[in-house]
Amino acid sequence: MNYIIPVGLILLLIYATIKRVNCYEAFVEGAADAFPTLIKLLPNLAAMLAAISIFRSSGAVEILSRLSAPVLEALGIPKELSTLLILRPFSGSGALALLSDVLNTYGADGFIGLAASVCVGSTETIFYTMTVYCGAAGIKNGGYALPAALIGSLAGAVSGIALVKILLLM
Amino acid sequence: MIAAGIMLGIINGTQSAVLDSLTAGADKAVELAATLCGSYLLWMGLINIAKRAGLTEKLSKMLRRPLSLLMPNIGDAAAPVALNLSANFLGIANAATPFGIEAMKRLAELNGKKTAPSKEICMFLALNASAVELLPTSVIAVRSACGSADPYSIVLPTFISSLFAAAAAIAACKLFEEIRR
Repeated sequence: MNYIIPVGLILLLIYATIKRVNCYEAFVEGAADAFPTLIKLLPNLAAMLAAISIFRSSGAVEILSRLSAPVLEALGIPKELSTLLILRPFSGSGALALLSDVLNTYGADGFIGLAASVCVGSTETIFYTMTVYCGAAGIKNGGYALPAALIGSLAGAVSGIALVKILLLM
Repeated sequence: MIAAGIMLGIINGTQSAVLDSLTAGADKAVELAATLCGSYLLWMGLINIAKRAGLTEKLSKMLRRPLSLLMPNIGDAAAPVALNLSANFLGIANAATPFGIEAMKRLAELNGKKTAPSKEICMFLALNASAVELLPTSVIAVRSACGSADPYSIVLPTFISSLFAAAAAIAACKLFEEIRR
C-alpha cells in the first residue's frame, strides 16, 4: 500500500522523460493553473465552515439528534448514535472526536462501539465535500446530489449496523 | 443555517460563544485552504507532466466506456474522475480532493453555462459522498487509541456497508434524474 504513490511517481517521471517532456516546466505550468481555482474556493469555504461551526456551537446538533432519534431507532439505529450520525456529514474531525467519546463510554468492542465505528467509517463529510467541489466548479449547489448523498449515508448506517450484528456478534 | 444558529444561540443564552465560533469557522477556512493549497498545487503539477506525456488522454480513453455507464457524457473528465475514485478507495485523501476538484471543473465545462448541475455532476458528487475505502485508517486509529482488543474487526462490515451506501446514492441519483425529467 505504502509503495503505490512513490512507485507511481517514479514510473510517471521516467515515462515523461522518455517522451521528452520537460518535467520541471510542465509541473510549474500545471501548478500555476491550479492556483486561481483555490482562490475561487476560499470564499465558499469561509461561508460553509462558519455556518457549520455555528451549527455545532449553538446546540442545533443536539436538538436535531433528539428530534431524529425516534426515526433512527425505528430504522434499527440505537439512540446513542444519533448525535454522531447528525454530526458526521458536517465535520470529519468532530465525528472522530465524538467516536472516541462513544468508544470510551460504551467500550470499543461492544455493540454500540462497533456500530459507531462502522457508521463513521462507511459515511463521508458530505457538506464539506459538496462545498469544495461545487465551489471549484462554480456551481451554486449540487441539485439533487445532496439528498441522494444523504440517502446513501443512511443506507450505509442501517446496513452497517445490521452487518455488525450478523458478522461480528453472531 | 447561520441565521438559525444565531437564533438558537440567543434562545439558549450562548450568543457570545456562537459569535466566537462564527469567526473561528471563517479562520478555519483560511487554514484549510492553506493546507489544501500545497497538495493541490503538487498534484496538479504532476498531472500536467502526465498530460504532456499523453498519459491522461490514454487513461481517459481507456476508462470512458466503463465510467459512461454511470456518467454518459463524461468526455475529458474520465481521467480525473477515475483518479479521484481510486485515490478515495486507497484512502489517499490529500490526492483525492485535487483530482475531485479537477474532475468537477471539467464536468462543469461540459455542462456549459447552465446553472443547474448536469446529471454527471450530481452522480460524481453522490459517488464522493459514500466512503468506499479499502482501510478506514482514521477509525482504526481511534479504535486502537480507545483500547479495542481488535481495532481491525470493523474493516469488513465497514467496506460492505459503504458499498451499500454507494449503491443507494447511485440509485437515488438515477431516481431523482427520472423525476426531474
